[in-house]
Amino acid sequence: MAQTRSSSNLIWNIVSYAVLIFLAVLSVGPLLWMLLTSFKVEDDIVTRTMVYFPTRFTFEWYTKLWTQSGYPVLVINSLVTTAMTVAICLFTGTIASYAFSRFNFPGRTPLMLGYLVVRMFPAVLMIIPLFIVMRNLGLFDTSIGLAVAYTSFLLPLFVWMLKGFFDAAPKELESAARIDGSTRIGAMFRIVIPIARNGLVATCVFVAIAAWNEYLFALMLTSSTGSRTWPVGLQLMVGEFQLPWGMLAAGGIISIIPVIVLFALVQRVMVAGITAGAVKG
Amino acid sequence: MSRGPAFSAMPPPRNMWDAINPMRLLGELSETRYWMYLLLLPSALLITAIVLFPTIYGFQLSFTEMRLNRPAGNGALVGFKHYARMLGDPIFWLALRNTAVWVTFSILIEFLVGLGAALALNRNLPGTKILAVLILIPYFLPNVVAGNMWGLMLDSRVGVVNDLLVRVGLLAEYKAWFADPNTAMATAIFVEAWHSFPFFTLLIMAGLKGIPTDLYKAADIDGAGAFAQLRLITLPMLRTIIAAAIILRVIGLVNSPDLLLILTQGGPGRSTQVLSLYAFQNAYSDFNFGYAGALSTVMFVLLMLFAWAYIRLSKVNQD
Repeated sequence: MAQTRSSSNLIWNIVSYAVLIFLAVLSVGPLLWMLLTSFKVEDDIVTRTMVYFPTRFTFEWYTKLWTQSGYPVLVINSLVTTAMTVAICLFTGTIASYAFSRFNFPGRTPLMLGYLVVRMFPAVLMIIPLFIVMRNLGLFDTSIGLAVAYTSFLLPLFVWMLKGFFDAAPKELESAARIDGSTRIGAMFRIVIPIARNGLVATCVFVAIAAWNEYLFALMLTSSTGSRTWPVGLQLMVGEFQLPWGMLAAGGIISIIPVIVLFALVQRVMVAGITAGAVKG
Repeated sequence: MSRGPAFSAMPPPRNMWDAINPMRLLGELSETRYWMYLLLLPSALLITAIVLFPTIYGFQLSFTEMRLNRPAGNGALVGFKHYARMLGDPIFWLALRNTAVWVTFSILIEFLVGLGAALALNRNLPGTKILAVLILIPYFLPNVVAGNMWGLMLDSRVGVVNDLLVRVGLLAEYKAWFADPNTAMATAIFVEAWHSFPFFTLLIMAGLKGIPTDLYKAADIDGAGAFAQLRLITLPMLRTIIAAAIILRVIGLVNSPDLLLILTQGGPGRSTQVLSLYAFQNAYSDFNFGYAGALSTVMFVLLMLFAWAYIRLSKVNQD
């Protein structure tokens, strides 16, 4: 009995490794191929026989992208839009999330459901009216207009995600501070938010990645290099040149560096959060 | 006693300056009964302004004539004209069918692969932590990069996937995956599944942590095999989280045309035309905002019906 169980255990361990290694290769392989392509010379990209181990390497695509295609402006626009989106979520979402987590009040459940349901609204349904409204308000083709539009689907997400982290923060310290004479707002800023700061960082990073990556709203709500973000600019390149694979690959690599860095950060913070939760429970 | 702290938290102002000190006033405000509503006010106002108002405006647009490239007659109410046109529009019906295929098969693959990865990771074997990080990466990649990366690898002239498949003998010659109406949808579904399966992995992994290990020990003693344990313990225990994950993915897949817009733009022919893409193109390329509004309204109603029915069904099953 014990014999068969340990042997079947061994088989499942081997299957698990096989599945995980296969999926990891499938997940990362395309990225490595794009990275390799971004350093290949044109003749090694467009070729009759596939070049797996190039002997010539070039930085040409990166320098071309950076100096000739206006990519730096696109990256700066994306940074500005992303920062504004995170700032709006941080200022309006943190306090809302705190209210949902700490208070019981009439209308709490329907309001929370409301914040959940608005995520179901089709982007296309909102994009058209937003386009008209932004044009009338003079916010069309501006970074702040785009950031506000991003808030429509990222703020509810922010509030819900952060609520989980606030819920996990122990209430005892807060009560102790209140007994010591702290006001509610004082307890919130001095006790609860510092305790939940890892969660706050993780939530901000999630929102930042989503805003940085967004394509559809940016396509509809920007029209010039004054506010156009990198996803729209990169996609425009596909039409402008005859499939400049090297440049597309270089653009892809540059644009996902912040995502990978932030993702690595979130990994650590999330693991810390989960471990903290386990210790507490 | 329980009311004590609330009063002691508000000492009277010490001097003139203290009486108008904004920090002190905020502190005082935070002790009132309406504090939580004040905390919610900014986000609620914002969501009303940029979600609820545009949505209602969108419903209204679906009953009006609104073509930005033909200013004459804009804003006139036309009743159900756009909806009537939709019923007779073969592209609408095709897009509806394609949406069903796109959503069903994407979710099926994402769920199965996501579940497999989560179960394997949940065994906590040495060295799998780093694999977990690698497996989650696709989910965080931008659509634009994921789409063009696969576009490069599946290209009919320079695609490495073609080369590999020819080398191992699965393919006779390079194939234009996105140019053939027979393979375009399946290939797009593959790219979508590659991009989003980690979402299921993440949620299912969180769910697996909540299942008491005693259940498996008891099943082991009863001699239940791995598949019996999966069917009788794991899946039933995960039902709520799987239902939630599926609803969220259905919403995401129905609503966002991003990936198809990048990969195929609905072509070749109309073999990958889905509802959200059709609505977006009507607005973005044809400037026919009224018809696009009607299409997205229909999409919205269908989604609400689906979510409602799905929640009802999974509740009925629980009883």
